[in-house]
Amino acid sequence: MSETISAKIQQLAQIDRVIHEPARLMIVALLAAVAEADFQYLHLATGLTKGNLSVHLSKLEGAGYVEIEKSFRGKYPLTICRLTKVGKEVLDRYRKTIKCAL
Amino acid sequence: MKASLFQDVQRDPDAAAERLLHRAHNRDGLPEIVIGVILLTLAGLESMAMVSPPGSFGARASSWGLVMIVAPLCGGSTWLIKWARRRFLIEKAGYVELKPVSRNRLILAFGIAVVVAVAAAWAGSRGALPPSSWVLAGTGLIGGAFTAFAGRLPRYVAGGVIMALLGMILGFCRLSLEMGFTIMYGSIGMLSLVSGCVVLLHFMRTREDQ
Repeated sequence: MSETISAKIQQLAQIDRVIHEPARLMIVALLAAVAEADFQYLHLATGLTKGNLSVHLSKLEGAGYVEIEKSFRGKYPLTICRLTKVGKEVLDRYRKTIKCAL
Repeated sequence: MKASLFQDVQRDPDAAAERLLHRAHNRDGLPEIVIGVILLTLAGLESMAMVSPPGSFGARASSWGLVMIVAPLCGGSTWLIKWARRRFLIEKAGYVELKPVSRNRLILAFGIAVVVAVAAAWAGSRGALPPSSWVLAGTGLIGGAFTAFAGRLPRYVAGGVIMALLGMILGFCRLSLEMGFTIMYGSIGMLSLVSGCVVLLHFMRTREDQ
């Protein structure tokens, strides 16, 4: 019994650190709920500053969890973000690990 | 950083994602406004059919109205909402695209509708109340359940309960189908339109403050 609990707790050490960071977890959870969203929506929904959000999005993009598409809507830049298949799998794994351990 | 969102995500990411999806969809009240307009148009056409003698201009206009106005409104409502959001709201609130409705939900909704329809037909065949009463009550129950189930937010759940109760009351008042549907569509449409406008005004004011 205690060995099983110990094994479950030890799984926490293998948690993905990219997604575990609170701000990035919020971004990923938001993107998991929708098909795609732009930078402005994420900025308003998360409450992060634009600079902070931009840094976290770059990290998620670098890890291959988020896909970023930059375009223009009229004269205004439009940055559309969506979760990749890898990102969805990682979030699912993260959710299972947390649920299993806690 | 929004602490409550983070707490929700940590506690149950699935539930948080689901809630965010519904909040994202309903944050500007546009879907309710469109639904309200469709239902009020339906109520108008129903009442026109009710007061016009069969074969008259009013009766024909009512039938054509269903095909020429309501059907395109229903079919194009998603596009209309998306267009309005992109044209007027993106700069203020950002752009968000919803996931398509899952097949499981559609199957569940269809299953519930079939069960209620069969139950209504069985009850109608026993002759306790005229079939029109069961149709009205069934429409109220199915519509109310679907509204509460699809919207999830408290105001949608309240709307669903009101629709279900209204359907049952109208059904047991032994009204004709036309009269019952006119009252049901008219009241729910008005409620939806007012609720959508209030949400939209609140949404615009909040965005202006930010």
